[in-house]
Amino acid sequence: MNKLYQAKHELWLDILFASFAINDKQIKRDLYNFSTIEFRHMKWFGDKVLKDGDDYNYDRTKMLHKRESVFDILRYLIVELKKISALYGEDILNARMITDEDYMIHHIAALLDNRANDAQITAFNMARKYADKNLPQEQIDALTVFLFEESYKEYELILVYAYMQARTTNLTHFNVFQDLIDESHFHLQSFGEMMAKMGILALPRELHSMTYIVKDIEKFVIDGIAEEEGAKEMCKTLSDAIHDDELKRFFDFVNYQESYHIELMKKLL
Amino acid sequence: MYEDVKMPEGMNPEVLEHLMAPKNYGKIEDPSGVGVAMDEQTGEYVIFYIQTDGEIIEDLKFATNGCQDTVVVGSMFSAMVKGDNIQNGKKALAKMELKLGGLTPKQRVCTDMVLEAFVASLINREHLLNGENEEMHIIKMKESCEVEENE
Repeated sequence: MNKLYQAKHELWLDILFASFAINDKQIKRDLYNFSTIEFRHMKWFGDKVLKDGDDYNYDRTKMLHKRESVFDILRYLIVELKKISALYGEDILNARMITDEDYMIHHIAALLDNRANDAQITAFNMARKYADKNLPQEQIDALTVFLFEESYKEYELILVYAYMQARTTNLTHFNVFQDLIDESHFHLQSFGEMMAKMGILALPRELHSMTYIVKDIEKFVIDGIAEEEGAKEMCKTLSDAIHDDELKRFFDFVNYQESYHIELMKKLL
Repeated sequence: MYEDVKMPEGMNPEVLEHLMAPKNYGKIEDPSGVGVAMDEQTGEYVIFYIQTDGEIIEDLKFATNGCQDTVVVGSMFSAMVKGDNIQNGKKALAKMELKLGGLTPKQRVCTDMVLEAFVASLINREHLLNGENEEMHIIKMKESCEVEENE
């Protein structure tokens, strides 16, 4: 299995979760954008691996590093970005990845030149308070379980759909997978941001191959629709349980998005 | 032995730790046994890998596509029996089964799935020791975790 693919997967997660952990809006936005570039690298590189008759998997070994300051995170990202360059070859895709990452390193290094960019990281402090909202304990508990459950599910969906998209020759399926991947990226971002706000940011657990190697697409879609129904139910339960207009509106909004996912999934049948 | 076996009751700091960083999550290369508990209705599964040295469970790992209750129980159970012998592992399993009554129906099914996967890994180990050619032992769950919470 491919070492560079695993390194790309881990780098995507490193940058994505760094964007969740950091509170500064501009740095957060820049890192999130970099993470989307890394995800595309992963996709393009995966396609190349398959075209060359090889294969990849979603194994990971890295843990989420709980850093205490913005600068600790940024320094860590520079080290990881430099480390991956040792694995690159010499084709046009590799050249593209190298130039993208050179720019990222330069940009992050420039952030380190300004002491005003440093701040304490609160994303891992386990405080379980939602920003300035004074939610009762049972609502905090319900929100905690929901965020762990759904952040894993969105990560799982991104990878499972990407795995299937890379292997389909059906254009409708390809487009549906892309829509579902885009939607799950947005949900993962939303839930990751909320986890960081509550001090419980954690990396979703690794996917086992039994989860993403799909042998029966019809059963997969039927199970997937049932899971979307379950996610809708969880959103509704949470929306009913949480007495805060802003959060309520957000969970209703996600609930309606899940409804449309079901329609998209039906196109795969 | 295992008199004070713990179950995931409520959202306490210990449960939160298991959620944020599940213990013994992943897989083992060349294990002594691999077992799967499968809920065919939902497609959810738990897979256990065990590595034994004689009767000692030197290492064990699990993975699942199931819910957070499943993850927490798998994390707690695997941490409890790792390093112990198989006999005591079975005792821990029996103690946990005794406590299933105190859980919600959904938690009960999730916990059962973890324990069955561990049992399946022991069965697979036995089969391999007896010279059988079995990649993994699969136990199909009788109850689904789509069980109604008000049952």
